[in-house]
Amino acid sequence: MSEKANILFVDDEERVLRSLEMLFRNRFKVYTTVDGNQAVDICRRERIHVVVSDQRMPAVTGVEVLRRVREVSPNTMRLLLTGYSDLEAIVNSVNEGEIFRYLTKPWSAKEITNTVNQAADIALSLEHEAGTDTGGAAPGVLVIDEDPTVVEMVKAICGKDRAVNWSVDLDEAFETLAANDIAIVVCDIRLRGRDISAAVKALKESNPMVLTIVQTQLQDVETLRSLINHGQIYRFLPKPARRGLLEMSLEAASRRHVAMKAVPRLASRYQVEKNEQAPVVALSNRLLGYLDKMRQGRSS
Amino acid sequence: MSEQTQLRHLVMSAPGIPPHLLVSDVADLFMDETHGKLLSLPVLDGDRPVGVISRARMQQVLFRQYGREIFGKKPVTAIMNSAPVVIESDVALNEASKTVTERLKFPVTEDFIITEGGRYVGMGAVMHLLNAMEAQLAQQTADLDTAYKQLKASQLQLIQSEKMASLGQMVAGVAHEINTPLGYVKNNIEMMEMFFEGNRDFIGACTALADVLLSPHSTEQDLQEKLGALATLRQGRDAGDDEDIPRLFADTCFGIDQISELVQNLKNFSRLDRAAAADVDLNECLDSAVLLARNVLKNRVEVVRQYGALPRISCMPSQLNQVFLNLLTNAAQAIEGPGRILLKTEAEGDWLKVTVQDTGKGIPAEVLPRIFDPFFTTKPVGQGTGLGLSISYQIVQQHGGDIRVTSQPAKGTRFTVRLPLAGAGITQASQGEAA
Repeated sequence: MSEKANILFVDDEERVLRSLEMLFRNRFKVYTTVDGNQAVDICRRERIHVVVSDQRMPAVTGVEVLRRVREVSPNTMRLLLTGYSDLEAIVNSVNEGEIFRYLTKPWSAKEITNTVNQAADIALSLEHEAGTDTGGAAPGVLVIDEDPTVVEMVKAICGKDRAVNWSVDLDEAFETLAANDIAIVVCDIRLRGRDISAAVKALKESNPMVLTIVQTQLQDVETLRSLINHGQIYRFLPKPARRGLLEMSLEAASRRHVAMKAVPRLASRYQVEKNEQAPVVALSNRLLGYLDKMRQGRSS
Repeated sequence: MSEQTQLRHLVMSAPGIPPHLLVSDVADLFMDETHGKLLSLPVLDGDRPVGVISRARMQQVLFRQYGREIFGKKPVTAIMNSAPVVIESDVALNEASKTVTERLKFPVTEDFIITEGGRYVGMGAVMHLLNAMEAQLAQQTADLDTAYKQLKASQLQLIQSEKMASLGQMVAGVAHEINTPLGYVKNNIEMMEMFFEGNRDFIGACTALADVLLSPHSTEQDLQEKLGALATLRQGRDAGDDEDIPRLFADTCFGIDQISELVQNLKNFSRLDRAAAADVDLNECLDSAVLLARNVLKNRVEVVRQYGALPRISCMPSQLNQVFLNLLTNAAQAIEGPGRILLKTEAEGDWLKVTVQDTGKGIPAEVLPRIFDPFFTTKPVGQGTGLGLSISYQIVQQHGGDIRVTSQPAKGTRFTVRLPLAGAGITQASQGEAA
């Protein structure tokens, strides 16, 4: 990429900013600020490709900063860099900040370089392709949840004009995904007592166009962090399911999907971090077969 | 009412005397070994008690000169106590005891009559009643003691869980505080590593050039080659780096100092000092608490310190730290937006005074009297256990001091902790409790 991307770092500790600026100034034009409000102003004024914000800051929280950045500059890739694991913040970072990565302090210079580079490449490549919310055929929904009230709620929300599939079996779910035009998956990460988060992540990796709404009772910071970084889930909702929340999330996901359909490259915003521990091994061969099928389906 | 606490089990069997029985025959009855333990015998009309005759009364009558001659042939009714104390068998011990003390004229020499539905069942001895009462009292004392111990244990548990809750919050906050310097320290070191790698190559190229220059056998081509290599390396070097390296080192050292300080404070705070430490400087305790509360204070709340010269005192510093941290956290939480906390210490006569005053929203007058009550909280669920102040109050009390509070809504709140200068006078027992 010949063009230099603009990166903004937000942290109330100026030593963090100095350190990051030194790490990145050769590659990018680096902006820094200790003030969250100012960060939003910079994003409004300048063409910022990537913003990396701390979470706990005196005046405004990082999630709040990223939520407002998303409003004033939707194409800016948003990353959270925090030393504090607070569940509410991380849930909001998904639902309100729609963040690309959740990074933790202390970080590794190599990893943060790779991640920020990747975010900058994506932002630069999409710069002139901002998706607009155009109408279009309502995309299909797949519910993977053994709780029948969830599928009933989704059906009630979607009405007649959108196909709602329901599956309580992973193999069957992936068969449905491979055979139908599914845009949104509503799922729990536990299915019949088993953790299916590896499948949720693999699904996003093989098909970035599918938007995942995870609805679960489980509230664990590490799991959620991994679902963001490796699964790029679109929304994280609590259980028992609340209709209002689910409805808003489904609508947002539909709009997002329509935009991506208009400009398929937008899906690159949802690139997942390759999981080096390779949990994909845990997936059955059959599942991997479906995933391959979906990958080929996209490239053809 | 349980069997044990009633009169029934004190019943001694004693033969009833018919009213017409002669005094001399009654004397024989008293002399009978089987009735040796009885102080009195009942006089019964059928099964209804009409009087009581005591051994002492008999002796009084018979020891008189010609006593036996004068009274021996008279019926017992002539000398009996015709107003005996009669108590129903289902009466509680303490009730019976009350009746006995009120009505029995000769408690040392006379027994009382026990009836069931007005019908005689036996005699009761005052001594037995007293013993039973004592046993009952001992049982009640033991029950109370057990209840007290259980209460004490659950209170200890509560204190412990409050400590864990506030410690948990604090640790999470401190983890963030540590992760921030750790973040840039690590990044700086990784960058320095890259920088020194670059420098090593550069120095290598310089040395190679020097070798060429110094060697008599060098050709023009050698020189060009080395100069070229050096020029390439120089181009890749970031001129800014050289200037920034001292800064990088300074930041790194600063970060490491900050981490050490936090860890040191955490250690001081959580030290499980059961024994009171002598020579504690309360100003240092306060500084330590301020550092740990930094997370809630952040840049939002300005802390103004007006420390007086304080003599060192003997106290349990980790507990007082807990008190100060609690007061500071409350003060910071009372302040919405920017504000100020004044920390003032002074020695006043025999007391040390620590004042924590905030510019927060204040405490409403109707709430003020309850703030030291256990479980009283105005904070949302999850933010406070409602035990912080009540435990602080206890800790200060155990140190022989007190906490006072004044508050003005919308102006702020002032907490004043007073501690005795002459060692805290902490008893061994209270140390165990509070640990």
